[in-house]
Amino acid sequence: MNLAWKEMKKSKTKFVILGSIVFLISLLTFIISGLANGLSQDNAALIKNLPDGAIYMETAAEETHALSAIDMETQQAVLLEKDGAFAFSIQMGFLLNEQDEQQSVAFVTSTSSAEFPDVSKDEIILDRSLEEQGIKQGDTFTNSQFNGEFTVAGFSDGVKYSHAPVAFVHPNNYAEMYRTEDLQMLFVPEAAGLEAIAGLQSFSVDEFLNTLPSYSAEQLSLSMIVWFLVVISGMLFAIFFYMMNIQKFGLYGILKAIGVKTGALFRMIWVQMLVITAIALTLAIVLSQVFEILAPSGMPFYLPISTTLQLSAVFFAIGFAGATLSGFQIRKAQPLQAIQQGEG
Amino acid sequence: MIFSTSNIKKNFTTGEVSEEILKGIDLTLAEGEITALVGSSGSGKSTLLTIAAGLQTPSSGEIHFDGQDLGALSPEKTRQIRAESFGFVFQSSHLVPFLTAEEQLLLMLETAGSPLSTKQQRQEVEKILDEVGMGHRKSAYPASMSGGEKQRIAIARAIVHQPKILFADEPTASLDSTKSREVMELLQKLTKTLNIATLMVTHEEDLLTYADRVLTMKDGRLA
Ligand SMILES: Nc1ncnc2c1ncn2[C@@H]1O[C@H](COP(=O)(O)OP(=O)(O)O)[C@@H](O)[C@H]1O
Ligand SMILES: [Mg+2]
Repeated sequence: MNLAWKEMKKSKTKFVILGSIVFLISLLTFIISGLANGLSQDNAALIKNLPDGAIYMETAAEETHALSAIDMETQQAVLLEKDGAFAFSIQMGFLLNEQDEQQSVAFVTSTSSAEFPDVSKDEIILDRSLEEQGIKQGDTFTNSQFNGEFTVAGFSDGVKYSHAPVAFVHPNNYAEMYRTEDLQMLFVPEAAGLEAIAGLQSFSVDEFLNTLPSYSAEQLSLSMIVWFLVVISGMLFAIFFYMMNIQKFGLYGILKAIGVKTGALFRMIWVQMLVITAIALTLAIVLSQVFEILAPSGMPFYLPISTTLQLSAVFFAIGFAGATLSGFQIRKAQPLQAIQQGEG
Repeated sequence: MIFSTSNIKKNFTTGEVSEEILKGIDLTLAEGEITALVGSSGSGKSTLLTIAAGLQTPSSGEIHFDGQDLGALSPEKTRQIRAESFGFVFQSSHLVPFLTAEEQLLLMLETAGSPLSTKQQRQEVEKILDEVGMGHRKSAYPASMSGGEKQRIAIARAIVHQPKILFADEPTASLDSTKSREVMELLQKLTKTLNIATLMVTHEEDLLTYADRVLTMKDGRLA
């Protein structure tokens, strides 16, 4: 007999309440981790969205890309040899519009590349978020270190660096602004074969992100927030399932007295836990994905379905552990105690 | 004899003090008979009944059922014997709150490993419910039943799988005297018709007329 199901049908309110708690907690965890991922994405999407490969900078720069300058000879040699390789630089700066209002941006320039858009001289390509702020193609901007005028040629999706929108500029314009022909870094895709280059230090994309002090510190805080939330909600899950089963101690004792197998009681506990968790998590996943679509575009929110599935797996595991733990208590439940006490 | 105990002793140790509650009990039960066990409160009646039923183990002594010594069997084997061959009625009915009257009995049949088909099981359950006068309440949940109705269902659950032994610990304690008589008549009828060996603990003198034998527990011994 399907005891698990019979009980859920009879005590709907109790199980709906328990399910709602699981649903709300997991939705909270999903939303918070979406926001955390969003922030982290906002901080470094430009780099994060690069394919697998290596970023090289001068060894002498001691892991600070702003201090790195790769000489022309090395750059030419690598670009010739490696398919898909390109050199690039990043510098924080400002754009001034016609009303002299400042917009902080990350200036990025690169040699011709599949990853970054090609920009003509005296033109800029901006992150899409600036279009949403009202900047249009054809608008013009100036910069204190640049004598000419930048014209907006277009927009690019998801290019953020250090929480600022990226402005792609032509290498010649970049050279004028920062008074150097040399670019800071080289990127070589993994497919082209990665090897040591004399005088340069190589980083994977993740390693490179960790060299950015603001990024690694922020990342630490964000992952702490998410993991604390996961651990605490996991414990809440386990405790709720435990409480629910401990309440039924007397009943389990009676069932054992009349000869019901302990295994059947375990099955009852597991089925109830799985059904509740599955329904609650499905709803939470759906709702968090809807939230991702509806979230205002200015709000950094990034929640790939894979992240929700990973978190769901963790919740399942913890809920299962909580249910099993209470199952062990039930194994200890003496039929005798149950018989001698309680109304039923 | 289908069921007997020999020289059952039981000590309970609380802190430093060990007290011998049962001091060597020889008990026999016969099929088709109600054996009543009486005695003052705290004399060890429930202790003896639960030991006999395999719900706790004696400190020493043997329990013979169907040619086996219950004390020497594994917990899984005693569980199986309880499920297949024993029936239980307690002071409180201890029904499963989320099952209907019919389902309580079906669960017992399933637990006992009944060889009947689902359809046959339902017919059997219907028959037993009619027998205890609860045929019209088969879809009722315990919460909507009176005390007497609950106890009738508890008795029906205890015998639906045709056990050899029925253990009843003060089955009428929560009922008024009219209802108590009805329940006793029912127990008597079932004991006879199903040829069950029934052991019943009671402290109500006027119910002893339903018993075939009366045993009195005093100072840890039977008289
Ligand atoms: N698990 C136990 N631990 C210690 N003492 C117990 C335990 N169970 C019963 N007793 C004691 O054994 C005595 C007999 O109890 P019980 O068999 O319930 O009596 P009755 O059913 O005749 O009223 C009582 O004094 C009771 O306190
Ligand atoms: Mg008692």
